[in-house]
Amino acid sequence: MSAPPQGQVPTFKLILVGDGGTGKTTFVKRHLTGEFEKKYLPTVGVSVHPLDFHTNCGPIRFDCWDTAGQEKFGGLRDGYYIHGQCAIIMFDVTSRTTYKNVPTWHRDITRVCEDIPIVLCGNKVDVRNRQVRAKSITFHRKKNLQYYELSAKSNYNFEKPFLYLARKLSGNAALQFTESPALAPPTVQVDLAEVAAYEKELADAAAQPLPDEDDELLDA
Amino acid sequence: AQAFAEHYYNTFDTDRSQLGPLYNDTYSMLNFEHSVDRPGQFKGSAAIVEKLRTLPFQQVKHQVVTLDTQPSPNGGVVVMVCGNLLIDSEQQPQKFSQCFQLMPTEAAGLAPGSYFIFNDVFRLNIG
Repeated sequence: MSAPPQGQVPTFKLILVGDGGTGKTTFVKRHLTGEFEKKYLPTVGVSVHPLDFHTNCGPIRFDCWDTAGQEKFGGLRDGYYIHGQCAIIMFDVTSRTTYKNVPTWHRDITRVCEDIPIVLCGNKVDVRNRQVRAKSITFHRKKNLQYYELSAKSNYNFEKPFLYLARKLSGNAALQFTESPALAPPTVQVDLAEVAAYEKELADAAAQPLPDEDDELLDA
Repeated sequence: AQAFAEHYYNTFDTDRSQLGPLYNDTYSMLNFEHSVDRPGQFKGSAAIVEKLRTLPFQQVKHQVVTLDTQPSPNGGVVVMVCGNLLIDSEQQPQKFSQCFQLMPTEAAGLAPGSYFIFNDVFRLNIG
């Protein structure tokens, strides 16, 4: 994907899924040019945000699909997933139900898209009463997904999922972002000591063997 | 049927936990965006209202665009509604369709003179 001709930026359809209220729309709206240039597709009920990033291999664009809240009624239609090239599954670390539903969202994606790079994101790590402990988040390890903790409102880790997906899609693990996209100013701050503790808990958990399915149900 | 739909959606949009009296404790059935992975079939007013009450949105507004009715056996009425739905702070309306089969209360062995929702089938019309 180096040096594309003018006007032909490599573009990938990114599917954003997860329970209603986990912060998907808040997250995608942080990217200001994407928010400005978003397009609404009324027949599928979707806003498409073109999220541009600059890398050492040239520009890359994620056409990020975001629902208009249909997931609050049930599942999404196949049209939402078709031709998806990468995906983000979001849950809310202050709501256990949203983590418990992650396998269903994962199954929905893989049923239509088969083997695409997927990032699991635990949002709202800025909120005090966290309910899903970092060490109980193990789903990504079973399915070979990447996992990041986010705080959409503070921009904490905003670029991480996109960098991971850009590296996977380009097949270039050395790909770097060369400048940051313009983001909406943070409306909350994360406690740096606290997120560092979460990161350590995650790293420690990654060194542990995977729990049985039954244990996980009790845990999550 | 017009009055029924108005009452149903007004109640749904203001406090959907109050929809119980429109359903029958035993016989009513709701099919709400049912799929294998996300079961959406409920029977009896308690289970139906619990489903509707726990839908994860704070605010909802139904706008009826078309309403069609047909008679059905034993004094019943089939009502087909198509309309727009605004969810929480979304700016874009969703299209929905909802089909009710209303039955006279005496069909369920209750005091006559009223109707209850026997069948309720709901879908968002997307992709």
